[in-house]
Amino acid sequence: MMSNNITITIDGIACEAQEGEYILNVARANGIYIPAICYLTRCSPTLACRICLVEADGRRVYSCNARVKDGMNIVTQNEAILEERRAIMEVYDVNHPLQCGVCDQSGECELQNYTLELGIDSQHYAIPDTKRGTADWSSVLHYDAGLCIVCERCVTVCKDMIGDAALKTGPRGGDPLDKSYKATMPKDAYSMWNKLQKSVIVPSNGTEYTNCSDCGECTAVCPVGALTERDFVYQSNAWELRQIPATCAHCSSGCHIYYETKHTAIGNSKEKIYRVKNEWNYQSLCGAGRFGYDYENSSAVKDKTAFDRAVAALQKADTIRFSSMITNEEALMLQTLKETQGVRLVNPDARAFQSFLRAYAEASGQGIYPDDFKSIMRESDFVVTVGTKLRNDNPNVRYVFNNIQKMNKGAGIYFHPVGDALVPTFGKNVETFEHKPGEEELAMHLVLDLFADREALPDSVRKTIEAYHEPRTRTVTEKVMEEVTVTETDPETAEEKTVTKKVPKTVEKEVEYDHNGLVEALGGDAEHFDEIFGKMMNKKESFALILGEDLYFHPRADNLARLAALIEDVCAMKLAMVPPRSNALGVALICDLDAEATGYVVGYNAPGDFILSALGTGDLDMPALNQQEGTLTNMNKRVVPTNAALPYGGYELNDLMNSLGLGKTLTVDWTTSLPEDRGFVAIDFDALPNGYANDGQEHRGYLLDVPPAEKTATEIAPFDGDGVLEGQIAYRCNPQRQFSDFTDKAHQIFEPFALYASPEKAEELGKRVTVVFDRGSLELDVIVDERIRGDIVEIPDFQSNKNIYALFGDNRYATVTLRKGS
Amino acid sequence: MSLEQFKNRNVGVQHYRMLDLSHTPQTGWGQFKQVVRRTLSLELFVGLKVTLREMTKALFFGKMHTTKYPFEKLPVGPRYRAIHEMKRLLESGHYRCIGCGLCEKICPADAIRIETAYGEDQRKQVQEYTINFGRCIFCGYCAEVCPELAIVHGGRYETASEQRASFSLFDDMLTPIDRLKEQKEFPGYGSVSPDADKRIHKTPLAY
Amino acid sequence: MMEVTYLGVIIKAILILAIISAVAGFGTYIERKILAFMQRRLGPMHVGPYGLLQIAADGIKLFTKEDFIPQNANKLIFMIAPIITAATAFIALSAVPVFPDFTIFGIFVPSVASDINIGILFVLGMMAAGLYGPLLAGMSQANKWGLIGAARTAAQFVSYEVVTGLSLLAPIMMVGSLSLIDFNHYNETHAWMVFTQPLAFVLFLIAGFAETNRTPFDLLEHEAEVVAGYATEYSGMRWGMFFIGEYANMITIAVLASIVFLGGYTDLGFIPGWLAIILKIAFMFFLMLWVRASWPHVRPDQFMWLAWKVLMPLAVINVVITGIVIMV
Repeated sequence: MMSNNITITIDGIACEAQEGEYILNVARANGIYIPAICYLTRCSPTLACRICLVEADGRRVYSCNARVKDGMNIVTQNEAILEERRAIMEVYDVNHPLQCGVCDQSGECELQNYTLELGIDSQHYAIPDTKRGTADWSSVLHYDAGLCIVCERCVTVCKDMIGDAALKTGPRGGDPLDKSYKATMPKDAYSMWNKLQKSVIVPSNGTEYTNCSDCGECTAVCPVGALTERDFVYQSNAWELRQIPATCAHCSSGCHIYYETKHTAIGNSKEKIYRVKNEWNYQSLCGAGRFGYDYENSSAVKDKTAFDRAVAALQKADTIRFSSMITNEEALMLQTLKETQGVRLVNPDARAFQSFLRAYAEASGQGIYPDDFKSIMRESDFVVTVGTKLRNDNPNVRYVFNNIQKMNKGAGIYFHPVGDALVPTFGKNVETFEHKPGEEELAMHLVLDLFADREALPDSVRKTIEAYHEPRTRTVTEKVMEEVTVTETDPETAEEKTVTKKVPKTVEKEVEYDHNGLVEALGGDAEHFDEIFGKMMNKKESFALILGEDLYFHPRADNLARLAALIEDVCAMKLAMVPPRSNALGVALICDLDAEATGYVVGYNAPGDFILSALGTGDLDMPALNQQEGTLTNMNKRVVPTNAALPYGGYELNDLMNSLGLGKTLTVDWTTSLPEDRGFVAIDFDALPNGYANDGQEHRGYLLDVPPAEKTATEIAPFDGDGVLEGQIAYRCNPQRQFSDFTDKAHQIFEPFALYASPEKAEELGKRVTVVFDRGSLELDVIVDERIRGDIVEIPDFQSNKNIYALFGDNRYATVTLRKGS
Repeated sequence: MSLEQFKNRNVGVQHYRMLDLSHTPQTGWGQFKQVVRRTLSLELFVGLKVTLREMTKALFFGKMHTTKYPFEKLPVGPRYRAIHEMKRLLESGHYRCIGCGLCEKICPADAIRIETAYGEDQRKQVQEYTINFGRCIFCGYCAEVCPELAIVHGGRYETASEQRASFSLFDDMLTPIDRLKEQKEFPGYGSVSPDADKRIHKTPLAY
Repeated sequence: MMEVTYLGVIIKAILILAIISAVAGFGTYIERKILAFMQRRLGPMHVGPYGLLQIAADGIKLFTKEDFIPQNANKLIFMIAPIITAATAFIALSAVPVFPDFTIFGIFVPSVASDINIGILFVLGMMAAGLYGPLLAGMSQANKWGLIGAARTAAQFVSYEVVTGLSLLAPIMMVGSLSLIDFNHYNETHAWMVFTQPLAFVLFLIAGFAETNRTPFDLLEHEAEVVAGYATEYSGMRWGMFFIGEYANMITIAVLASIVFLGGYTDLGFIPGWLAIILKIAFMFFLMLWVRASWPHVRPDQFMWLAWKVLMPLAVINVVITGIVIMV
């Protein structure tokens, strides 16, 4: 989108703005206050509350959906507007239960705030109340319709941000308003009340339960206490909770969160996390982030003998195997061990990502992928994803994809072998390709074909692409108006006469079109793709390509990286990659990883001969990521700080390093030593900010500044179809909300370790199957995932002791044999 | 009394009256004169007279002050702030406490802790409620802030116990259900003011 | 007059010891009661009828309390000091006629256990010697409050002892004997000394209060200033001995005042002599409690100022005037 800077005046203050922005956002960015209940910054205006009414050039507009124009003069408050707002607030207060004492919002209530701010101390409107009960919509969502003011924020965020669109307004069954109010009330207040009196929020699928990803974002945005987390209902007042700004460690999004802690019980003063909150105007969480908070290693004590054994184990270790669920500082400690003790560092997911990044760097000359997901979400209106399971791999990438469709009037192409029922619902311009595993290179070629200036392509690639094109004809049906002459009888006069009429008629016509073999090979509708794509490209200006984990775990990953570099080079496309695990990007940048584990293996949150574990199940306890401070590198290439929410009683990795004579006083003393040649900056941990500004600017840690790499000329190998898998295929993919052993430990996340399949496939498989790989086999329950389409089954890897990486090897897909029963 | 006057805590300029006391003699002669004057004016015997008079009153006129505590106890004022009581609703007998936690918040000694949960009746249920009487300073803020007149101060002032930090649990403080009829409203901190009716806006109920 | 036998003296000694100890104990009860009444309280009520057995309870408490000696104390002196106080108090009583002579089981029991011709001097001397108790106790216990108490004892002792001697000098001059028996006999034939020597009576009374460490002159052990003064480190029966000594001294002073100034055990109209002296002693005792209930105590400097600058000159003047009157 083009952006022109303009100047507008709000309440006499000159404000810089960009054309097309909403008045409300401009006001907020400039610190001018306009009340608004229903508006969410990154979502489309709902126009439910009508309280953001302002006067723009003397005309009444709603500031949440009126766009600024150059020289606009805006008055946010005058007596008429105030009267309107007061009436609206009075209406909101009609029949709102006076239960503020028990309400879970406990004072953090926007209804309360606006009522008090507008000075509502009397009530002029009344209507008989309707019985509105409470409901548990899912295992985590609790809705109290009695408290609901139907601002529809939950509906909006679920549709525009999350993409589930699991909520809608439903009938309330209340009495109609007294007609006399229409004449006596301010207009907006009346129409708002009219709507309010008719509706409550209900699950959009028509049942009592929501069919959604249980992210809980609706509970976060609720301005009153109507929507809450089920586990939190009536547990604690907000003011009793201590807010600890932190970073969610479950996936590579690295979302900003607040842990809210309080003593566990009257007789137990140990801190406990009661819930997780987020800055919902600027950052949306997923279910793992919001509900997977209680993964702390609570029973850890300083066990000196275990510690001594751990020191001995590290001294004799040949290999350290670790997961990416560690901080940058810990990764640096492990790298120090490698440099001083010569141990091998093994981390399968980060290693695959690292070698992909290296191949990309060699091909492109850039140290790291050039763009980040925030800017893609803000600016792009056409997004293509290759090799990432949008619904499972990284929730924020899914939000980006969805939000682009909803907010930027965008289009999207989703390349993935596993069919998905949800992605096509994100927008009407979303096209999905269910290609075969191994055909990712073709997908990349199609991207080149669609978005590249063909002249700029290397000859070999251009030839490959052109070879797929051929002119073909197809039959199209057209409606034409045809003149026909019929004989009619006049019913009145009974006279017969001939009349000439135009009637529509469908005719079939042969049309020549450009047949794209790539589309056909990828399982698309090659016959009509040019039309569809033409529609998708309508008025599009900014394009983005998102690459995912499938490409890193791919037999021809290097070639894919080169293709990515080529796309970045010749197409005007933003490019971003999804790191496979929590801090995989940080680990990939900091550690030199080895392929194979040899000899004596020390595992850190991973299998090994001696296990350091933050789960409390290993030979020595380690702090979980909600018990330690440090930095994480998230997918937006940002190094973000996280803080300890809960006390920890045991030893840390830094203590082990100290025993080996390599440590520093504190773990966070390592922060300044993070490698600057990989883009890190030597900033003291305590100096790292962690928050958002009013206009949505992210002030969290710092952005990586990865220096450019040396570009070595690399040829793109032609696609030969060797890597394409056929037959029964298993896909290594976690269920939504599960990422690692840590989410598995959290009590509100219960997606089991099982085989996930589409409804049809599950029916075929029965309750339990044995999955036979080349390298071993696995017995799993079968669970239906309503949103999977097709034949491929998903096998999760979140339990590290199942050693799923070993079964799959270097590919995310594997040909397997499924045996029914046990 | 207006609020401003009420808030004026500058006690230094209040209406104090100085006693007209003669000056202490500075010279030996002056001191001698004072001794002679006091001796001859028999001031000392006034003191003896007072004590003797009090003894007579006590012994023969029944003016003995002693209350034979703990056999006799003086009634405490209704607004006295001793060990807390938890009141019940007179109609249903259900406890009044709604678990809002305001008392926990306002307590300057951080003595109150409350545990609540989502009850089976879909209401906020008080799981447990304790006041640490080792820390409680009996300031009465909890009773004042309570929106339901649920927690009030009672008259139980004998608070000696074997443990310094003895807890008082919800059930200890709650009016026994069989003595609900004897439950009285507390007139002290937090009670409804006499003009409360005048100050409340009614919500219009058209039905 | 019957002959004084050893047996009679022993009986008298035992009687004095028994009765004075009992009375001293009872005195504590009376003191508490009187003070309570004067403050319109009830005083001890719960042990026995009207709290009479409170003395027994206190006795049990004193006997069973741990007798501890501070680590840095001079242990021998610390242990001896209370004995000095108690012993001297009773020794002083040996020269004081407490009851009229009487005969029991054919044994003549004299009014005074030892009618020595320097009786009154002996009594005063013994009571003065008793001050060594607090002095040594305070100095031996290695406690700063005790030390201050001891210093105050010395200062007070020097101050009031002069006045005691001088105030009694005038009556002695008039009687012409130091024997207390002779004083008693003098009262039979003359008007009570209180009328002929009012100033000496007042001076003696003041000095007597000081001698027994009673309010307003309880500088040695004033709680508000020096915790418990010389008795700070004492507990149990050792502390009890100080207490008994104090009450024995109170009785001694009461007896002396009764005999020297208030007519002794001569019959008073229809009241027999033995009852008369009991009443007189009781009144003097009551007076001490009454004063305690009514008056505040004085500071050490005020007390010394009073003793040296007011009482001693007055006593000297009184002696001179008495001498002149006798000569004339």
